[in-house]
This record gives sequence, C-alpha cells and structure tokens, in this order.
Amino acid sequence: MITIADLKKVYKKVNVVDVQSLVIAEGESFGLVGNNGAGKTTLFRMVLDLIPPTAGEVQINGVNVKGTDEWKFFVGSYLDENFLIDYLTPDEYFAFVGKLHKYSAEDLNQLLARFEDLFNGEITGKKKYIRDLSKGNLKKVGIAAAFIGQPKVVVLDEPFENLDPTSQIRLKELIVREHREKRTTFLISSHDLNHVTETCSRIVVMEKGLVIKDLAGDENALKTLETYFNR
Amino acid sequence: MFSSFISHLSKKFSRSASADKETATAIFLGILVVVVVGYSLAFGFALESIITSALKQSKPIDFLNGLMIYYFASEFLMRYFLQSLPVMDVQPYLHLPVAKSKIVHFLLGRSLLNVMNTFVFLLFTPFALTAIANVYGAGQAWIWLVSLWLVSLINHWLIVLFKKKFDDNIWGLLVLVMIVGTLAASDYFGWFQLSTLSQKLFNISLHGYTSIVALVISQVGLYMLAYLFFSKSLYTEDLLANENQNYYEANLAFLKNFGSVGEWISIELKLILRHKRGRTVLVMNLFFLLYGLFFYRDPSFSQNLPGIVILIGILMTGIFVMNYGQFLFSWQGSHFDFILTQPVSLVKYIESKYWLMAAVTCACFLLSIPYVYFGWSMLLVHLAAALFNMGINIFIVMNMAMWDPKKIDLSKGSALNYEGIGAAQWLMGLPVMLAPFVFYLPFSLAGHPMAGLAAVGTAGLLGILFRRKLIQVTAKRLEKRRYVIASNFRKE
Repeated sequence: MITIADLKKVYKKVNVVDVQSLVIAEGESFGLVGNNGAGKTTLFRMVLDLIPPTAGEVQINGVNVKGTDEWKFFVGSYLDENFLIDYLTPDEYFAFVGKLHKYSAEDLNQLLARFEDLFNGEITGKKKYIRDLSKGNLKKVGIAAAFIGQPKVVVLDEPFENLDPTSQIRLKELIVREHREKRTTFLISSHDLNHVTETCSRIVVMEKGLVIKDLAGDENALKTLETYFNR
Repeated sequence: MFSSFISHLSKKFSRSASADKETATAIFLGILVVVVVGYSLAFGFALESIITSALKQSKPIDFLNGLMIYYFASEFLMRYFLQSLPVMDVQPYLHLPVAKSKIVHFLLGRSLLNVMNTFVFLLFTPFALTAIANVYGAGQAWIWLVSLWLVSLINHWLIVLFKKKFDDNIWGLLVLVMIVGTLAASDYFGWFQLSTLSQKLFNISLHGYTSIVALVISQVGLYMLAYLFFSKSLYTEDLLANENQNYYEANLAFLKNFGSVGEWISIELKLILRHKRGRTVLVMNLFFLLYGLFFYRDPSFSQNLPGIVILIGILMTGIFVMNYGQFLFSWQGSHFDFILTQPVSLVKYIESKYWLMAAVTCACFLLSIPYVYFGWSMLLVHLAAALFNMGINIFIVMNMAMWDPKKIDLSKGSALNYEGIGAAQWLMGLPVMLAPFVFYLPFSLAGHPMAGLAAVGTAGLLGILFRRKLIQVTAKRLEKRRYVIASNFRKE
C-alpha cells in the first residue's frame, strides 16, 4: 500500500528522517512511536506530500505522492490544527470535505453517525466556529474529517493527545472497529504505549530519524517497548 | 470548487475574530478607503489642469507619459508594503483531494482582488477621456488607459514573484530603491534621459493597439511564471519558510554588564529581530528618518514655521517610541503569564523598556545629524525633540500602553495590520505630538521661539534626571494593572 524508499529529510545538515525501506501493507494498522524529535511528524508530512523529501520517495499504491493528487482521494489524514479551516463551523467543514469526496448529505450523515459516541454531542449541530472549540474537540473534528471519503488509508498524528479518558477509549474502539470491518490501513503515531499496542498490528520505533525497531503488535510488544524506553 | 473557495473567503472575512469586536477600526478603515479613493479621483480630474496651468507644460500628454516610469516605480514600492499573497490560507486544503493546480490558480486569481489594481483607473480615466480623447480619439484613449492598467498588473505579478523570492528580506528592497534612485539621479543630472525613454515607451500606446498585444502577451507569460513558481513550492515548509530561514543572532554581549535590565533588553531585541512585525517597525523607523527631507528642502518652510519643525523632530526621533511603545506589553502578549509567574522585579522590567526606547531615540538623533546641512537650528530642534522624547514621551507612551492592550500576532507585518489596536493606540499619537507644545507655545506666542525650544529641551532633561522616580511610578501602575492586562492577553 505504502512504500517508503531511501527517504531522507535534512534540515541544517541534520538528518531528521532517514528511512531506508519501509513497506506498509494494505490493511495493516501501523503504529509509530518515538521520543520527541524522532521524526514521526516529519515522516507523516512527507507521506502526505506536505514537505518535499531531500532524497528518496514515498509511494502510495505504486504512485509517487510528490506532486500528484490522485492518492488524496483515498488517503484521509489529520496531523495538526493547520488541517482545519478554523472560521467554519464543524458542520460546514464536514460538508465541505464531504463535497470534495462527492458525498451526498445522506452519506455524510451516515458517516457522522459512526462518530456520535466520540462527539458526545459537542461537535455537530452547534453554531460554534472550529477556532472556538477546545483542543480535544478540535482533534475530534479533524479525526472525523479524515474518515470522510471511505479512505483506504488513514494517517493520524497523536490522535489520543488532548482527549479525555472516555474519548480516548471510544476512539480506540472506533479505530479497531474500522480496521476490522473495512480493512482500512492506519498510520498512527502516539506517545501512549498502551494505546498503540492495543490498536496497532505492527509497531515501529523511530529515533533520530532512523527506524530502530519493527515489532508485531502482540502482548510482548508492550513489554519490549517499555524496556526500550525505560532507560 | 472555485465557488467553495470563494464562499470560504467571504466567511473568513465576515467571521473574522476581530470583525465584530473592532467595528471602530473597520469604520476608520472604511473612511480611509473613501478618502483615498476620493482624493485619487479628484486628483485624476485635476490632472490636466495641474499639468497645463500649474506646471506650465505645453504638451501635457508627452509630459505625463514621460513621468509614467516614475509613477510605476513608486507604485511598485507601494505595492511592496501594501500587497501580500495570503498563502497560508491554502494550508487546510493541501491534504484534501483538491488538485494543486486549482489551488494555485485560485491563489493567483484571488491576488488580483486588490485596490492597488484599480488606482490606474482612478487616477488617469479623466485625463484619458478628456485630454487624450480630444487629440487621438476615444478608442485610442481607452487603449492608452488599458495599457497603463496592464503595466500596473505587470507590477502586480512582479511583486508576487519578488515577495515570494525575497519576502521580508530588506536587502532586496534596498537594492531596488537604489536602482530607482540611481536612475532618477542620472535623469536629474542629465546623464541619461529616463523620462525620454518613458515618453517613447508610453507613446506607443497612443498609436494603434500594438501596446495592448505586447502587454497581454507579457501578462500571460508572467502569470505562467508565477503559476510554475507556486505549484512547485506549495509545501508547508515553503509557506512557513520565511520565519524559519532567517536566524537573527542578536546576542549583544555588552548587555550582560547591565544585569537583569540588560537581560530583558536582549530578550526584547530578539523579539523585535526575530519577528516580521518587529522588523517592520525598525524599517519604518529608518524610513521616517528621511521624513525631514520632504519639508526641509524648502528653506522658507522652517523659518516661517519653527513649531512644525519640532513636530517633525518628535516624529523623526520618536517614531520607534510611538510604533513600538503603543504595543509595549502586547509584544509579549503570548507569554505575559510567563513574565508574571517569574521572579521579576517590575521596576527592572519597566527600566529595561525605558532604556531600549531611549537608546533607539538616541540613535535616531545621531542619525539625524546630517540634517545640519539645512542649518544649525535643525540640529538644535532635533536635540530638544530627542530629549523630550527620552524624558517625557516614553513615560506617556508606557502609561498609555497599559490601557486595554490587546494580543498581536508577531509573524505578520505591520503595514495596514490593525491587529492589537484599541482606542488607546489610536489616541496615543496625540499626546505624544502635542505635549512639547505645552512647553513651546507659551514662549513662542510671547515672541521667543528659541526660549520655547529651550523649555522643551529642559523639560525632557528634567524627565531624564528624575527617570528613577518616573520608572517607579510606572512600575507601580503596572503592578495594579497586571491582572487586567494578563486576562486581556488570554482572550483570543
């Protein structure tokens, strides 16, 4: 599904990302962990063609993402608040993204119904601009928008951050359900080792731009990760 | 797709956080626009008679075409300050399934919606329809006018490209100013006749339609160039580039000798140098130093109106105090809570701000010394004004800045940026400019302008001598006002 080859990003002579080869299969739920500055977000930004790599390339379905637009139709993503149009209401934002994916109002309602639990009645149907939402609710808007368009791939950067405990559990359930039922490929980064081992079938550890570990997401993974990070 | 973009654009304006809060600012800007448009139109209607009667030119059309090159050069400069390409607005669309080409076309098309692009019509339509239509016929007059408009649009695209390449790089602009200055000087001294060239070029548009064809072709070429340029660099890091690329060292070692006051000053210098808005204030400061050139060239001016010279001196040496000081606390709005939670003496904090503004005022005075060319009295006036700024005006500004300050976004430039401006900021200029006259007028009305000048200087000197007391009073006020100020900054 996603093939990363010799991907490098250099800022001021420092290799922020240096990934020789990483293949993410279709239907995999791929977790990325690593301390601050490991290059997780930079890697995601290059996957989404938001920054050009210094060298190498990212292919989605065999097409280099750089400078192309086709992959955007089946890749949903939410990295940070810059993905949101903050002077729209959440409803308007969803409607706009839905329109880009040629959704009817009915399609959109069906999709948003799946997020009803996560939204907890605080997002839709309110006359409130996105910029006036709390951090947690901003995140929910972005995450929900990433699922518009029946994406084959969903990229989320720190999706659990800023969410309250209930929402964290609901989001976890939602990701697991989407992955099981629709075989959506997930790329998720997180600092919470528990969440990542519970939601992901494969976990990669990055440090200083390099891929250090590549684990299967089973019970042993949590222990291995805890040992690795406890130093 | 474009309709969605347009609807988002209109929502952005109607829902802007400041739209309903700052109606006063909006009304003021509205009035400003009406005034500028009105004056431009009036100037346009008067243009022909100005050229024939006031300037006594027998061939008004040739004369105007000869000046055109200067008009477009100054338009380019104006555009540099007033025109911007809001590239950041496209960030939320980059990850969505929207073709990049559409985003770029929209971005470029939208940039055409700029008042600057209508000025040619405001200024020259009356001239075209009377003076030119009388000689060359109405059709040719329109060709002339549209040609001018197309030249103006060439300026537009050049600015778009220039700012993308050299945004916020003051050297790019300085080089341009120097080129224009050299050309103007060579024209003035007769080495090279720029106005003849301009006349020849713009006279082409008075004969046939070749000019239109050539200009349309160059228009398409420039648009394609801009399109290529932007579609290649529509990446978040390019959009955000200018703040990250420029690293301003700003470590002034000698400040370490001044203890915590020095530390604060060096922090504040970094704040100024590392943000676009701070740098814009500094550049404005340099431009204002040239302000005197407009007035002093006419010797009768300063002899007849010594009072006005004080005003100019106050502005030239004190524009930093006014421009920077009006946002004195707003600059640190994003980390004011941090300042309040740190073990900081507010007296030292205010003292650092005093010395920063005093030092810049002093530097402005030193830079204004060459005006002595226009007479020694100029130097005396500037000295008195600088002393007054350092002793009195800084304290006026510091105290007024505590009145309802608002948070500002440091990454935006300050030309036509009304963020962070409340009632106090609109009014702040008045006391600063009027205060010296409280000391000057009693003497000058009694027929002793020099004594008045001395009074202004003495008042400033007294302020400087008693600065400790004044700093303490100011710090005490800040201590009382700090909660109001901090809660203001926490509001979006």
